[in-house]
Amino acid sequence: MENRIKEILNKALTLIDDSENVENLEKINQIRVQFLGKNGELTSLLRGMKDIAPELKPIIGKFVNEARDQITNRIESRIAELTAKSIAQKLNSESVDITLSSKRNNKGGLHPCSIVINEILSIFTQMGFQVKQGPEVETDFFNFQTLNIPKDHPAREMQDTFYINDELLLRTHTSPMQARVMISEKPPIRIVNPGKVYRPDDDATHSPMFQQIEGLVVDKGITMCDLKGILDTFAKALFNENTKTRLRPSFFPFTEPSVEVDVTCAICGGKGCRICKGTGWIEILGAGIVNPKVLENCGIDSEVYSGFAFGLGIERIAMIKYGIPDMRILFDNDIRFLKQFN
Amino acid sequence: MLISLDWLKDYVDINCSVDELCAKLVSVGFEVEEVIKQADNCKKCVVGKIEKLEPHPDADKLQICQINIGSEIIQIVTGANNVKVGDLVPVALDGSDLPCGMHIKKGKLRGVASNGMLCSGEELKLTEDDYKGAGVYGIMILNEDYPLGTDINQVIGSDDIILDIGVTANRPDCNSVFGIAREVATVLNLPLKMPSLKYEVSKYENTASVKVENSELCPRYMLSMVKNVVIKPSPKYIQKRLKAVGLRPINNIVDITNYVLMEIGQPMHSFDLNNVANGQIIVRNAKDGEQIKLLNGETYKLEKDMLVIADSEKPSVIAGVMGGMFSGINENTKEIIFESAKFLRESIRRTSRKLNVRSDSSTRYERGIDLASQEIGMHRALQLIYETNSGDICKGIKDVCKESLQPKQITCPAAKINQILGIEVPTSEMVRILNSLQIKTKLNKDNLECVVPLYRDDIESANDLAEEIIRLYGYDHINCTLMDSGRQTIGGKTISQQNVDNVKNLLIGEGMNETYSYSFTTPKMFDLLEVAEDSDLRKTVKLLNPLGEDMSIMRTTLMHSMIEIMAKNITRGNKCARFFEFANTYMPKQLPITEQPIETQKLVLGVYGETEDFYTLKGIVENMIAYFGVTASYVRPNCSFLHPGISADIMVDGKCVGVFGEVRPDITAKYDIKNKIYIAEINIDLLNSLYDNSYVFKPIPKYPTVERDLAVVVEESVTAEQLISVATKYAGKMLSNVNIFDIYRGKGIEKGYKSVAIKFEFTSYEKTMTDDEINSKMNKIIKMLDSELNAKLR
Repeated sequence: MENRIKEILNKALTLIDDSENVENLEKINQIRVQFLGKNGELTSLLRGMKDIAPELKPIIGKFVNEARDQITNRIESRIAELTAKSIAQKLNSESVDITLSSKRNNKGGLHPCSIVINEILSIFTQMGFQVKQGPEVETDFFNFQTLNIPKDHPAREMQDTFYINDELLLRTHTSPMQARVMISEKPPIRIVNPGKVYRPDDDATHSPMFQQIEGLVVDKGITMCDLKGILDTFAKALFNENTKTRLRPSFFPFTEPSVEVDVTCAICGGKGCRICKGTGWIEILGAGIVNPKVLENCGIDSEVYSGFAFGLGIERIAMIKYGIPDMRILFDNDIRFLKQFN
Repeated sequence: MLISLDWLKDYVDINCSVDELCAKLVSVGFEVEEVIKQADNCKKCVVGKIEKLEPHPDADKLQICQINIGSEIIQIVTGANNVKVGDLVPVALDGSDLPCGMHIKKGKLRGVASNGMLCSGEELKLTEDDYKGAGVYGIMILNEDYPLGTDINQVIGSDDIILDIGVTANRPDCNSVFGIAREVATVLNLPLKMPSLKYEVSKYENTASVKVENSELCPRYMLSMVKNVVIKPSPKYIQKRLKAVGLRPINNIVDITNYVLMEIGQPMHSFDLNNVANGQIIVRNAKDGEQIKLLNGETYKLEKDMLVIADSEKPSVIAGVMGGMFSGINENTKEIIFESAKFLRESIRRTSRKLNVRSDSSTRYERGIDLASQEIGMHRALQLIYETNSGDICKGIKDVCKESLQPKQITCPAAKINQILGIEVPTSEMVRILNSLQIKTKLNKDNLECVVPLYRDDIESANDLAEEIIRLYGYDHINCTLMDSGRQTIGGKTISQQNVDNVKNLLIGEGMNETYSYSFTTPKMFDLLEVAEDSDLRKTVKLLNPLGEDMSIMRTTLMHSMIEIMAKNITRGNKCARFFEFANTYMPKQLPITEQPIETQKLVLGVYGETEDFYTLKGIVENMIAYFGVTASYVRPNCSFLHPGISADIMVDGKCVGVFGEVRPDITAKYDIKNKIYIAEINIDLLNSLYDNSYVFKPIPKYPTVERDLAVVVEESVTAEQLISVATKYAGKMLSNVNIFDIYRGKGIEKGYKSVAIKFEFTSYEKTMTDDEINSKMNKIIKMLDSELNAKLR
């Protein structure tokens, strides 16, 4: 009996050991059936146990069990081995050119000016500024008079204007929204106002339609230092941490004192290059302390409140940021240009 | 404003380089837009003396000159025949640049070495007026003695440096040499020299009289008289300076008025006394319809709000704008009167604009003239008459002035200045700075007591003083603070603004690129799009002063702009593209327009290319509509430029929120487009008003969904919507989805019919559905499709 078990065991193990190829995976299952199946050789042997002397039963039983375990283990490990081999073969045979172009749906993109607007608005909204939008066809009253630019004042020369009639015009700046907000809301006011503005100029650095973002803060105790602090924070966020800000005296009728805000050139870092014309500085903003006359025009007590305002041209920033030499290409809408910003 | 450095130095002994001067001016608010070095025009051209002349051995028309240029004698071959030994001539040396644009190098002429060129007046861009002898044909022979080798720029007076300074509108007092000199003296901390105003008057009396009828438009009018006038050219230095700032010297009298305008900033006018009837000057409003022929040769019809200078008979000058053809001086003038006046800038601006006449004088008046300049200007003009021996100055200057010449006084707490600036400027610094600007300032307790000179009209308040103080104290003293005293506010965008951002992102995901086109467009677009004559779209906001007819109206639809964008891209060979743009349309509330129009935010989509069709655009539209949380239905539109069979109105809640479809081929042909293009315009403001983001979740069904497909044959005219609506109506509440997944025409299907394949999905939240249940629903659907739409099971 014992010899018979050994014999079966050896036969089974030899068969398993011989099945080395991946193709033998199926055969292994047959081997399992042949020896361990319902009518398998080892199973049949066990069935013959009833004829064995009772005192031998445990010993023989042990033999048979051991043989079955041995065969099972050998089968399992062979299956594992062959499966791994088969997967490895499959992986080896299946390879694609990973550098071939993909099947994605090409995504579109925002206009570079919108990208710039989004960046700027995001910076200011995080600093507590609300985004406001106002009409593009404005009244002379809001575009000029409320902002301390009376009719026939020389300051009107600063902004050539498209007129619709004596009282209506295309806004020449986003500043009328300052007045509209100050009239309708109470301090504290912190707003930014993006939008299209219009002036009759058309050349490489001027477009008859362009976009500005206006900002306005009105609260108690607002100072020139606050103006610089906020715009410095903004410039660092828009360009980079190392950007520095410089104020230069200027004139706008609706702010007093008025300043031009220069930032260190983002292209050369202030060393001087073609973009900054060798100066290391780029003018990006006009700003100033809100002229008390404007506060009073809008019904805000200038003895209690003060504020600052600023305005910047979107196209100019986009041109600096992307090195675009001619403003007109921004309104040309050639898909080959637009796609570059996808 | 062009400022001659040479002229500026009359008033300040500038002790720094031009670059430093410019940097200082910029730091106090005067942008230097350009520095023009006159000498840059003409380089390496010097005075030379002809020592020897001999004929060229191989050319009859050439001569070989030996020229002494001081340091050496050089040989030059010339073709000119107007030179002789001993003449002084301009010599362009090897490597020189000439004003005419020539660059001279040494070389050989017919085998003889020539080391430069003798210059003609023309090559130096000089005329007889600029230099006597410059106009001759041939070489310009110098008519005075100069050291040999002298730079020719010194000879022809072209050695000045001109600064183009940007003067802001609040500083009209700086539109003059003397005004800029005041700032330069302050910023360089140097003494300011005053203009020379000394002259002697003759025995004659000023017999002219002045009557100002409208002192509101003419706050001050001064008048002087000069007899025995000698009309002659101005001295060289005056001519040179006038030319340097772009003015043409005429004669001594005209030049003096221009010189004073540039130097003091006061426009002057000179009349020939002969042309002033009774020696009587009347400053009055024009009579309606009164006519005047001006110096420019044109005749103008005046209106009664315009101010003229007249005598008892006729107007001779439009005040501050331009003189009449016959009032001015001429070579026979013997007696003149000088006007030095202040006119209201608004009045000058209005008149100049209305008549479309501009002059140096009107430009200057429009910027604003202070009340002090008339007197300085007048005395300066008379001083120049005296200095140039141009005539006998009469006793007495008539001066009609209705305004106070007292300087303005401002009192302001010093603390207020620091409150505005946010830093601590020491009060002693404030006082020092203001005084350096001629704003006489004392500290009284804690208050700044300031006396503002007449020419600083712009200074009225504490903010104005703060600006003066900080621009000289230095903006680099301003620190960065973050509104420490301000209150917290919540920033961000409105829901509608966020919707636009989100829709933009959605469209980008659809492969679309954003465009920006002009808000103004051509009125021809309505004919191009064949818009009905009585359509509201044709009622537009028109610009009074457009840049051109094609940019003259504010658009009432974005469609034309988008078709143009697609046309441009197609012409340029761009095979396919998807575009979107958000922009406003402008609808007048009434015509003629009296109030702001209605601005509506719209979205326009445009797609073209091989793979595009009605349904690709519809897909984009549907995704976008779905974003707003609303359900749309589609009906055939009535749109003049869209294909009637391949276009749709988008209906939401019974409102039309937009339209889309293929542009008609006869319309695209007008834009030179052969391709099919698809376009949509959607009212974003309307969609924003319908926006609904409320949604309650549905549980995920526990029981499996059962699918059934059905193919029916129907007439071509039966729409998908009809089939689905009938199917939905009879399928019961367990129908969770239904869609058409195939349409077949051709073999096996009769012409005029189509086979439509429909997929149904049934879902129950309560139980597993049995085949019988589903089958009975399907049978009902089949039966009803047949009875309502004559759909036969295939």
